[in-house]
Amino acid sequence: MAPMAVFQATFLLALLPLSAYQSEVSSEPLSLNVSISSAQQRLHLQWSVHNLTHPELKMAFQIEISRIKKSNVIWVENYSTTVQQNQTLHWTWESELPLECATHFVRIRGKEDDTWAAQQRVWSSWSSWVKVDAQSLLGQGPPHIFPIDKLVEEGSNVTICYVSRHNESNVSCLLHGQRIPREQLDTHVSVFTLTNVSFISTWGSNLYCENDPDIITGAEPGTVLFVSKVLEEPKGFSCETRDFGTLNCTWDPGSDTDVWKYPSQRYALFESFSGKKKSCEQKNWCTWQVAQDSQMYNFTLIAENYFRKRSVNLLFNLAHRVHPMTPFNVLFESVSTTNATMTWKVHSLGNFSTFLCQVELHGEGRAIQQHNASSQVDGQYFFSGLAPATEYAARVRCAAKHFWKWSEWAGQNFSTLQAAPSKAPDVWRSVRSTLGSCNVTLFWKPLSKSQAHGEVLFYSVATENQDRLSSSKLFSIPAPANGTELSLDGCSHQIRVTASNGAGASPESVMVIAGDPGNQTAEVKEERIRGTEDGVSMSWKPPAGDVIGYVVDWCDGPQELSCDLQWENLGPNATSTVISSDAFRPGVRYNFRIYGISPERTAYLLARKTGYSQELAPANNPRVYISNLTLHSFTLSWTDYATDSQPGFIQGYRVYLRSKEEQCPPGFTKAVLPDNSVCCKHDIDNPEQKTFVVENLQPGSFYEFLVTPRTRAGEGPAHPFGKVTTREQHAHALIRIILPMVFLLLLLTVLCYVKSQWMKETCYPDIPDPYKSSVLSLLKPKENAHLTIMSAHDCIPDKLEVVNKPEGIKAQFPGARKSLAETDCTKHDYIYLLPTEKSSAGPGPGICFENLTYNQAAPDAGFCGPVPAPHTAPPGLGDLLTAPGNLLRSLEPSYMNSPGETPAGETTLNYVSQVASPTSGHKDSPPTNSLELAPCSEYRMQMAVPLGLASPSPNENRSLSSMSLLDPGEHRG
Amino acid sequence: MWAQPMRRTLLSLILRLLFLNPVFMGACPGDGQKLLEQLWNQANLLQDTSLLLDPYVHIQGLDMSGLKQGCQERPGVFPSKQALEGLSRKDFLRTLNTQLGQVLRRLHAFQRDMPNVQAWGMAIRYIHGIRNNIHCMGELLPGSPDTAAPPQAGPGPSPPPTRTPDAFQLKLKGCRFLRGFHRFMHSARQVFHEWRETWSRRSRRQSPRQARPRGVRRARGMQPSRRGRRLVPRGQLPR
Repeated sequence: MAPMAVFQATFLLALLPLSAYQSEVSSEPLSLNVSISSAQQRLHLQWSVHNLTHPELKMAFQIEISRIKKSNVIWVENYSTTVQQNQTLHWTWESELPLECATHFVRIRGKEDDTWAAQQRVWSSWSSWVKVDAQSLLGQGPPHIFPIDKLVEEGSNVTICYVSRHNESNVSCLLHGQRIPREQLDTHVSVFTLTNVSFISTWGSNLYCENDPDIITGAEPGTVLFVSKVLEEPKGFSCETRDFGTLNCTWDPGSDTDVWKYPSQRYALFESFSGKKKSCEQKNWCTWQVAQDSQMYNFTLIAENYFRKRSVNLLFNLAHRVHPMTPFNVLFESVSTTNATMTWKVHSLGNFSTFLCQVELHGEGRAIQQHNASSQVDGQYFFSGLAPATEYAARVRCAAKHFWKWSEWAGQNFSTLQAAPSKAPDVWRSVRSTLGSCNVTLFWKPLSKSQAHGEVLFYSVATENQDRLSSSKLFSIPAPANGTELSLDGCSHQIRVTASNGAGASPESVMVIAGDPGNQTAEVKEERIRGTEDGVSMSWKPPAGDVIGYVVDWCDGPQELSCDLQWENLGPNATSTVISSDAFRPGVRYNFRIYGISPERTAYLLARKTGYSQELAPANNPRVYISNLTLHSFTLSWTDYATDSQPGFIQGYRVYLRSKEEQCPPGFTKAVLPDNSVCCKHDIDNPEQKTFVVENLQPGSFYEFLVTPRTRAGEGPAHPFGKVTTREQHAHALIRIILPMVFLLLLLTVLCYVKSQWMKETCYPDIPDPYKSSVLSLLKPKENAHLTIMSAHDCIPDKLEVVNKPEGIKAQFPGARKSLAETDCTKHDYIYLLPTEKSSAGPGPGICFENLTYNQAAPDAGFCGPVPAPHTAPPGLGDLLTAPGNLLRSLEPSYMNSPGETPAGETTLNYVSQVASPTSGHKDSPPTNSLELAPCSEYRMQMAVPLGLASPSPNENRSLSSMSLLDPGEHRG
Repeated sequence: MWAQPMRRTLLSLILRLLFLNPVFMGACPGDGQKLLEQLWNQANLLQDTSLLLDPYVHIQGLDMSGLKQGCQERPGVFPSKQALEGLSRKDFLRTLNTQLGQVLRRLHAFQRDMPNVQAWGMAIRYIHGIRNNIHCMGELLPGSPDTAAPPQAGPGPSPPPTRTPDAFQLKLKGCRFLRGFHRFMHSARQVFHEWRETWSRRSRRQSPRQARPRGVRRARGMQPSRRGRRLVPRGQLPR
């Protein structure tokens, strides 16, 4: 393994002696030695010529190189040179295939090539083959990949081989993860050819092989292919000096061709006049010491790496490559209100001490002056025309007399001194006179920076009464106030306003106030004006008298209440203007007043204008009221609609009418609304007309209407529509009938209510009067005179039937009518109050009345219930008793037929009277004595009917003659 | 593509460094538990392959499936976990310190070869921090200085014959080294974890008797020396 390690050094020279062929050497004219350079894939041939006939002889040599086997000649080279005695000749051959991939053989022959030695111009015999077998040194270790750490230039072709000790036919190799096509060179060598390789990383591209069972961890077959970028010619090569001592040369090297482990890109400067050369430490700049006596330089910048060498030239005069240092000591002297002098210094350059300098003055962020100045080491420049109290920035840069490059800027800030404001403040006023005094509000605009010449400290306001010249006052208002309010004794005053800063006061602004301005306002009629894109345009007629100018004022706020008074001064020749303001808003009405300024500085109102900067369509529609609704018309009115507070001048109104009729009423035209619905419209062009009569309508028809105002910008919203229906044609006749009827009905209701007691007793008594029963009317014609109505007073109770009702049944069927089955379960006990021998025994004739008024309620009251258990109902009666309807129906025949079918003497009429329970305290109830009643029991009183009055049959008597004493509530169900 | 995770890793490291507050800037703290906590945290960070190995593999183009086998740790370069667990605490710290010194030298070489990679500088500063903490921890350990030489990196198989490494083998060697380093720090972290467990158990047992701190039994797998059960001064760790 040790020889192998030695072999794998980057540059290995293996001298391959020809000992194996020693026997042939003595007879050969040439002795050949071959060595290899593995990293460079080169064979180095050395040979000497035996028995040279002359001390110096021109000879030609022919070299043959074979691969794998001697017969496979891959290279033939003819080489001519002059040979001296005992000279060793050299020749190198570079193989595209790494030498470790295959065995190579080399041989050589020669001949004399001089013209005078014609007889010697025959080739000598070949030397013996020299075998170059680098593979044999690899041993039996893991497989190898050659070349190792190959450095190539981008775009090259590279041949790689995989050498294994075993027969390898299935190996695959990858370059940076990409598989490479393989060729089998021999049984244990595979060859991979890469064409046009490209740069991937300065760390190289990893090439490794897979599928080798012999891989031992730590000896993975692989190599790194270092692909270098192509060396570029340096660009922008330039040299300059800043101090005449050192030249600083710079250039753009282009792509970096260095790769990891093989940095080879380097630069050098060669100066041809001096013959000096310097290697540069950096790849993009280099310094060169200036020689005292050298003015001209001719530089060659040499760039080289493993593969290429490039160079660029630069010839120059040192004086033309001077880049001065940055000026210093920049100062300002003699700074006044409008002038300043700037001074500076420049680093000396020995004999080259004249500079061209550039001076710039900056104010408010921009260059306002730029000058060139020639200077020596000390330079200066005088700035004039400066504004007072203004901050400036000045800077300077210089270049050598033979311009090459400007130095960097050097600058300084300075401020000019203050001066008195140059212009009188722009003053305006508003005047209100009250009770002989004038309240004057003065407004002034702040002076611009160029007018103020310094910070304004205060404003002086002097007032002088025109009527009493001795009466004058002076006010001082500190800045930054932009107005003041004065209360003057009388309106005739002269007012003078000045602005003052630290250097003095401005010229005066003078105005005279005379009289009450309110009178003027009333006299001047207001006119409407229109806004344009540029602003609000207005014009006026010049007054008859002289004017020194005009003032237009207005409020920037919406209206007078929040008036932000603005004004504009105009010259004496102006008769129109366009007022524009950032504060103007669309849809807001502005009022403008135009004043003329007399030579006495008195302002008098010339015109009043009102208008919008931009009119808008109304945002809302007026509230519309309907009146005078008739069969064919109705009136719309919107009298409370304020036309002055709209976002535009109201030009009129548009009335929309919508109905089911296709035809529009006269005066209306068809229109299509934004929602594509069709309706009728009528335009009102008079904005003051706020009522409209819609006529020629159909009676009893439904209409929808809308009134919307119009401005120049458009009309109001197309909603909401109001609704109205015209009156019906027969409505009057109907009213004439319905009203009296309603009145009569009402009267009857009142009467009924008043006489309700009488009505009740008459039509619906609580206790039916048997005498009033209709039965009597049936009986009277047929019955005897002795037939009479049984009175309860005549009945003597003979027994009391006690009915025990289980509570559960009640609870189970609350309010329900009891069936016969239920009543069967009821337990009956009888308490005989009188001797009953006859009462219950013999059958006898009896009459019992049945009150038909209650026969329906009877079943509910358990009328059928008190049938004692021993007594059985007659056949069929049980069924009858199960339902009140049945009962009624069962009784009906006897009731209806009794006059005819039943003999009078045998007729048995049951009278079952409604009686109150004993607890009700009814006056007719019999005494209950001290009878103890069972709880939850129903008690019924049975009365013995006088024999003369009733004699029921035994069965019927037991079942029907009993008079129940029922609970009223239960009875009435 | 690479810059983003790299930036994230660096930011994460900076933040963690700030929070860990390693003691390399000042004197040793007397709080052994806090020191142990920091050592554990630092070992935890250094065992993370995103710190060094992942950037290295990416830069060198070794992030190919066929090359993973070649980037396995070579036995014998760093002590195994078993070897570390068998050391006394002082020996463990000495071994850790020695190995980190080797890593520092290697990282400096990486820094020269790959100057644009910020991970090397970050790791170097961090290893300086943990070495300072190791020094402080060594001062807290009781007993006379242990003159026994730290164990070598374990027997393992014999290394292959030395030969001048080519670039490919150098790349793999660096990769193996870093992988071994992260594994080694992982083992060290586990040892520190056992130390912490031991400390916690001892603190729990002795919490009612804080005035008499005593040595505790060695962590499992450590040298069962009788010296380990002797008394230790306050604030010191048991050996």
